Amino acid sequence: MFFYTLKRLAVAVPTFIAVLLITFTLTVLSPFDPVAMMMTQFEGTLDTLAKEEVIERIRDQYGLNDSYWVQFTRWIGRLMQGDLGISINGQRNVLRMIVKTFPISFQMGLAGAVVTTLLGIPLGCLAALKQNTWLDYTIVGGTLGFRTVPVFVLAPLLLVLFVLVLDIMRVPRGWDGLFQTKVILPVFILALGPLPVVVRQTRAAVLEVFSMDYVRTAKMKGLHMWRIILRHILRNALIPVVTTLGFIAEGLIVGSIFLDSIFAIPGFGGVAEAGFRGFDYPVIMGVTMVSAVMIILTNLIVDLVYPFLDPRIKIE
Amino acid sequence: MSESSENVSNEGLGEELAGDGALRTRSLWRDAIGRLLRNRLSIIGLIITLFLLISALLGPYIAPYSYTEQDLLNVAKMPSPDHWLGTDEIGRDLFSRVLWGARTATLVAIFTTVISVIIGVIIGAIAGYGGALADNITGRIIDIVMSVPGLLLAALIAVSIKEPVVTWAENIYDVSGFPLFADTTWLDLLVVFGGLAFVSWPGYARLIRGQIFSLREEQYIEAAKSVGVSELKIAVRHLLPNALGPVIVTLTFSFSSAMVLESSLSYLGIGVQPPQASWGNMIASNIGSWSYRPWLVAVPALTLAIVTLGINFLGDGLNDALNPRSKRSI
Repeated sequence: MFFYTLKRLAVAVPTFIAVLLITFTLTVLSPFDPVAMMMTQFEGTLDTLAKEEVIERIRDQYGLNDSYWVQFTRWIGRLMQGDLGISINGQRNVLRMIVKTFPISFQMGLAGAVVTTLLGIPLGCLAALKQNTWLDYTIVGGTLGFRTVPVFVLAPLLLVLFVLVLDIMRVPRGWDGLFQTKVILPVFILALGPLPVVVRQTRAAVLEVFSMDYVRTAKMKGLHMWRIILRHILRNALIPVVTTLGFIAEGLIVGSIFLDSIFAIPGFGGVAEAGFRGFDYPVIMGVTMVSAVMIILTNLIVDLVYPFLDPRIKIE
Repeated sequence: MSESSENVSNEGLGEELAGDGALRTRSLWRDAIGRLLRNRLSIIGLIITLFLLISALLGPYIAPYSYTEQDLLNVAKMPSPDHWLGTDEIGRDLFSRVLWGARTATLVAIFTTVISVIIGVIIGAIAGYGGALADNITGRIIDIVMSVPGLLLAALIAVSIKEPVVTWAENIYDVSGFPLFADTTWLDLLVVFGGLAFVSWPGYARLIRGQIFSLREEQYIEAAKSVGVSELKIAVRHLLPNALGPVIVTLTFSFSSAMVLESSLSYLGIGVQPPQASWGNMIASNIGSWSYRPWLVAVPALTLAIVTLGINFLGDGLNDALNPRSKRSI
């Protein structure tokens, strides 16, 4: 087990470093020049020649004239100390922005993941048990359809439907904790994104287990259908569903980018959206890295948990 | 049963008569088209996709107004005979803008798909043919690209390369005076293509690699090898036609996801900039007023939803039609 963990880590860590490298390289390419930003406050006080000299000196002082690799390692060093830089718009500490909003998004995401699994697994089972009937087609076709319909399309349409047309709710806005009625719609929308993956995976897994000998034996013994499903099918079919956790995490992160501002939720996604809208480089980098860490971690956890759930996977 | 025996006999003929290959291919495709047209959802999808392509192609000619033309006496009006879908917050005809948006979305989707297929096929072929080391390296690269959410990575790339691309175009304009580089609207599109293509190629690379590995085990490939057919000829004559089905299906799905990604970037203000019409930026500029001007958000949002649903239904139908053995088991 120890070596297996080590091996998985040996995959996850270089992946993360490569993500850092890509992010850093893109920033080097990017229009963001911190020195030019600083110089705007001296606008008009220095003539052009002196200004260039000052800029050059500041660049030297901050090591911006060093080679790419020197800068990269220094940047990594700062990251290790938890320094994600200062945002351009509003001069705020990026790490603090993320730390402050993350718990809210984490709760939303957790709720979304729970709703996705609670909806997806029964739907997938149902589709598999009624394979090739209209019910199967409706479930698979319906959720497949939603696979790519983005949050910023779904959210306004559902808002118009529920608030204006059906008039069954008030405009859900803001955040007062997870257990509030106004969280229902955003969490539901968040959960719809990764739902198709869960449904399909469950369906495929149940279909596979369905033809196993032990299920046939259970049927021949005359066990109740629901007992077979709960005891024999679900237990084995749910194992592969765990692998969808990475997709779920990605769907939730991307979903929250659009969702937060529409529902005025002060979350991680809102920080990301504001960052992109304002071309706020340090914020964009911070958000990208935190998202990548979340996804890599989720996949690592899946990899580590999987052998326990499915002993057939050999740990080497 | 009769179908399979027919295939077998045809295959036998194909071995003997070189000219028979075309005939066999056609019957296979006709078979697939028959299966596609029997599926009601995929017909709906096909119709929607055709509608999209027609509006993308002819949109500017069908559209009653230009995408920038303002009717200042009718600002933010409900649908009327003059403006079929109403006008937006500054008096532009919504129907015309939706049509222009179809052009933007289709253009981005086609270019992104073409670029990412080319990259994907090259990398996939390297992974499939280049031996274990090449396979490992490309596999790692794909894992890395896939570990960042596609939208975030595309946005990051678009934001980063925008300024350099614009400077580059300006320099070219300064040197050459070529009028094409004076206009920066198409540069937005170029930046979006770049970002989207970068995040969408790994899917194709994986697919091509998988196809190469699985098809290589097939008996007909082995047979061709044992008769001494060259690797290149096997790839062109046998691998390519057999891998085409899954590739077409993936193409369809990634066409719709490229459209969604484009609107997402435009929604975030990184992609296609106003006044250029994109469904994404149309939704973004009106989402704040959904409660009192719902149609301004609903029209582009519904269009995007219907189009992506339609393309996905078509893709699902194509999957059933072209890969009958893997029916509904993704």
